[in-house]
Amino acid sequence: MSDTKVKCTINGTELEVKPGTTIIQAMTENAQRIAHYCWHPGLSIAGVCRLCMVEIEGNPRVQIACNTLVTEGMKINNTSEKVKDAVKWGLDFHLINHPLDCPICDQAGECGLQDQYMEYGKYNPEMAESKQKKHKVVDLGPTVVLDSERCILCSRCVRFTDEVSKTNELGIFNRGDHAEIGTHDGKKLDNKYSLNTVDICPVGALTSKDFRFKQRVWYLKDSDTVCNGCSTGCNVKVYFNKEGLFRVKPKTNQNVNGHWMCDEGRDIYKFVNRDNRQLKGRKYGNGSWHEEGHAGVAAKDAAIFLKGAKADEIALVLTGQNTNEEYEALLNTFVNIYKTKNIYHWWPHEAQAEQFDGLLLRGDKNPNTAGLKQALTKHGISTKWADLESGLKSGKIKQLVVIAPENVFQYKDLAQKAALFGQAEHLILATSVKFPGIETASLKTATLIPLKSYIEKDGTFVNYKGDVQKFKKATTVVSEALTGVELAHLLAGQSLKIEVVPTADLLTAESNTRKDQVTLDHRKKNEFVFNRGRL
Amino acid sequence: MASANVQETKYLTEFYHLPEFKGLDGYKKNGGYKELEKALKMQPQAIIDEVKASGLRGRGGAGFSTGMKWGFLPKNNEPRFLLCNADEGEPGTFKDRMMMEKAPHQLIEGMIISAFAINSKKSYIYVRGEYDDSINSLTTAIQEAYKAGYLGKNILGSGFDHDMDVYRGAGAYICGEETGMISSLEGLKGQPKLKPPFPAVQGYLKKPTIVNNVETLAVVKYVIRDGAAHYRKFGTEKSTGTKLFSLSGNVVKPGNYEVPLAYPMKDMIYGLGGGFKAGRQLKAVIPGGSSAPVLTAEEANRATLDYENLAQMGSMLGSGAIIVIDDSNCMVQCLANLTHFYHHESCGQCTPCREGTGWLDKIVHSILSGKGRPQDIELLIKVADNMKGKTICALSDAAALPVLSFVTKFRDEFEYFVREGKSKVKGTAFAPKGDANVGH
Amino acid sequence: MTSNMFQLSEEGKQKVLAELKRYESRQSAVLPALYIGQKENKGHINAEVIKELSRVMDIPESQINEVFTFYTMYNKQKIGKYHVQVCRTLSCMLNGAEELTAHLCKDLNVKMNQVTADGRFTVSEAECLGSCGTAPMMQIADKYYENLTPESAMNILRGMK
Repeated sequence: MSDTKVKCTINGTELEVKPGTTIIQAMTENAQRIAHYCWHPGLSIAGVCRLCMVEIEGNPRVQIACNTLVTEGMKINNTSEKVKDAVKWGLDFHLINHPLDCPICDQAGECGLQDQYMEYGKYNPEMAESKQKKHKVVDLGPTVVLDSERCILCSRCVRFTDEVSKTNELGIFNRGDHAEIGTHDGKKLDNKYSLNTVDICPVGALTSKDFRFKQRVWYLKDSDTVCNGCSTGCNVKVYFNKEGLFRVKPKTNQNVNGHWMCDEGRDIYKFVNRDNRQLKGRKYGNGSWHEEGHAGVAAKDAAIFLKGAKADEIALVLTGQNTNEEYEALLNTFVNIYKTKNIYHWWPHEAQAEQFDGLLLRGDKNPNTAGLKQALTKHGISTKWADLESGLKSGKIKQLVVIAPENVFQYKDLAQKAALFGQAEHLILATSVKFPGIETASLKTATLIPLKSYIEKDGTFVNYKGDVQKFKKATTVVSEALTGVELAHLLAGQSLKIEVVPTADLLTAESNTRKDQVTLDHRKKNEFVFNRGRL
Repeated sequence: MASANVQETKYLTEFYHLPEFKGLDGYKKNGGYKELEKALKMQPQAIIDEVKASGLRGRGGAGFSTGMKWGFLPKNNEPRFLLCNADEGEPGTFKDRMMMEKAPHQLIEGMIISAFAINSKKSYIYVRGEYDDSINSLTTAIQEAYKAGYLGKNILGSGFDHDMDVYRGAGAYICGEETGMISSLEGLKGQPKLKPPFPAVQGYLKKPTIVNNVETLAVVKYVIRDGAAHYRKFGTEKSTGTKLFSLSGNVVKPGNYEVPLAYPMKDMIYGLGGGFKAGRQLKAVIPGGSSAPVLTAEEANRATLDYENLAQMGSMLGSGAIIVIDDSNCMVQCLANLTHFYHHESCGQCTPCREGTGWLDKIVHSILSGKGRPQDIELLIKVADNMKGKTICALSDAAALPVLSFVTKFRDEFEYFVREGKSKVKGTAFAPKGDANVGH
Repeated sequence: MTSNMFQLSEEGKQKVLAELKRYESRQSAVLPALYIGQKENKGHINAEVIKELSRVMDIPESQINEVFTFYTMYNKQKIGKYHVQVCRTLSCMLNGAEELTAHLCKDLNVKMNQVTADGRFTVSEAECLGSCGTAPMMQIADKYYENLTPESAMNILRGMK
């Protein structure tokens, strides 16, 4: 393909685009707003919603931007009265059989129909006839519910199951205004990527069983981060408020995950929420657990044990679930201060690490195995797991520090490992999630230190192919917990001022708005609702 | 009323009265496959040039130059397909059915010649599923043609290979749209495809594809037989040749009639069609299949049956289906029949058509049941106006045009119905035959 | 489940397999295969037929169901032995199609789209069948009956075995 760019003018702005670029691509990539429902950058062109109308100089008829290539010197606008009128009517055709049930619809607040209506709506609706009746509350499968009356038949979800997941569960059955999305006779929409159909549904037709009825979207903020579900490292957005995280959606990154993420990755938010978290530091001794207050205090106590031990009596266990920054800090503490190289990589997925489903899911269920390996290599650490086992059995290893994995659902060996770690004279277990089975495990003495989860800290993950992905703290859920870096400093005996933030002020991230996203001005003003508890 | 000299010009249909013309022997006896022999000795480009020179325009409805359409094919050796559009579904049209039932070899010969011209090794005849007799007739004729060496490998020693098959549709008007037909032939819903790419570049299975109507392909044989100059003697400069017209509705002698283009409409209605039953007179004519805007009696009486004249009158020649409506009929009722048709046949892909056809149908039926609101007439016009030119295919326009023309040209009947709650002609309203929601 | 599971006859299965090879693309066999399935399932198609075709053809059920529900010639419900389809579109309407349909339904004592008590007839309306010059008309099992009057149509139906 030639490198020469094609020049065009869109709404008065001169642009240069690659040959083969459609008008809608040119517009969305250059922050120009254009109404569209059926077009999606990750799917084939359907050209059916007929909303992305543009006027091209010299062409008497408005054209759809999604199926029209930009040609040299093309002058395009979507702001003329002609285009606005076409879009207004296009929208009205979408709405005449729509139930207009926004007050009970989960899509409300992020609905393409609402957004366009604020911009182009026919405020004097003329439809007086009875509406088409279609199926409501259709249980499509384990994750998704369909309301056919809300559906605008943009066919995005059908194209997704045909083209991306290649599972072909969905179809559009019947024709004309009887047409409905569905699966065939009891067959389920059940694949590892099914919830992407909910993301790409521009209206409230497909809703997530997990998220529906939980929160109004305007009570949520969102922030970008990297999924910690596997070594692919999908870029995601997490949606949260002071009550915690409510959902995870993919964020487009062509180099990593395209426009999609797997369903598995969407469940990870659950262990981040307070219910599942280790909130306080605790101690075990004389056969029972004692509540012990703050994480920092627990960590300082643990440091005393480490200082009293010989180098070869200390061991550290790490998983591929922490950030590069945490690895660096922890290794610095153990290698340089405690002079030990008894550092072990806990990695139950090693045998399956190369597994790949062809789309996104990888067998290594850790976001940062590559980062950990790099850090270990850098510090000249090369150990065998069997040495840890024999060291614990023989009693050689007395002070065992374990930085537990966050994504505990993917660690099937937790009970077995708890039994192993319990052999240490003193187990220092740092964990963000309540470590399953630790209450009943056979232990000698132990210290539990609460850690922050991946959305509560800045950091870096390195994915399976070596992409270095930095991410920012999204929010704070357990403010008293420690990051791995803080833990490393405290274990080293350094003091650290930890600021405990009141729960009500935990919303620190700025919400993100796509450049091309049509926003309702009043939605921004509605931010008072975040403080609704005080109203 | 009609001119003194009203008769058909039986050019394509010369031997249609002979039952033997249907079989291979009878067809050959009457000049069959002679032009295939002739064509196979010609340069393919010479055939295309001759067709172009003949001025032949597609007989399916759009009236696009056949030679020009062929010329859009890529100039390379990429495999290409010839598809015969025999999904005759435009209300009022029944000429292709007659051609396939009475003269299947005429079509097959025209197709082999056309295929040779465009260098296509495979063709399909896509026949609407309801046309069982046509399918049987073509299937038998294709078998005969294979046996006689007109199809298959090395046809008549020319080195040209060609295979032909029949594909049965399953009941969908939209499959008459050429890309809808291609989707259907691919085993999918008959939904039209986005253009560009056009079929000549990417059609059936994304390969270059030419889609021509039954009558168009049959004509090719005669252009080769008599030459473009002879063909141009029929009709006018821009509307050349003869055309089969399907005449139906309230005339005494409905049927298919072959006449030169630019034949006077009134000769068709009053001459060939035999006029009206005693006491009845002309009220309106739909000149080119139900999608063509309706003409008033006055317009019809001065219309001629060619592309230009009907376009000038704001209507179109379309498929050549002339539906004649006499003065006993209520135009609201007639329109309701058509809005129901388009509501039923919209493929449901593009929003303006999917929703608009239903909306129009509901409004018209609301008027028809005596429940129309005064603003409904303007609303019909607005909705129809906004369905035009906004969709992938022309069905949306086809649904809008009758509405616009009926409502504007017979507005008094619509206004009367809304005002009085009953038909100006029939004196009653029409109870809805069930919910307009109930469709397929 | 197994008791009402529809299975193609061996002959039907072979026909479907032949259609899969007949065209340039296997998918093209969906329309012909639905006809074969409909014929073997007493004139209509249900979910079991779709599932069987999906198994035999190795084409997703959703895709076969899309095609099935799109076209009118695949029957969605049980029909009588004779499916009487009266053309309702404009030329036929102008020539008395509505009266014809009403007459047939009355004489057969059946509502539109339902099966007569004896299981012999279903009367339904069809959109333009391309027989406008011989209106009104009806189609029964692929055959056209043209230039009808209510009486002549009833006579034809009475003559059906």
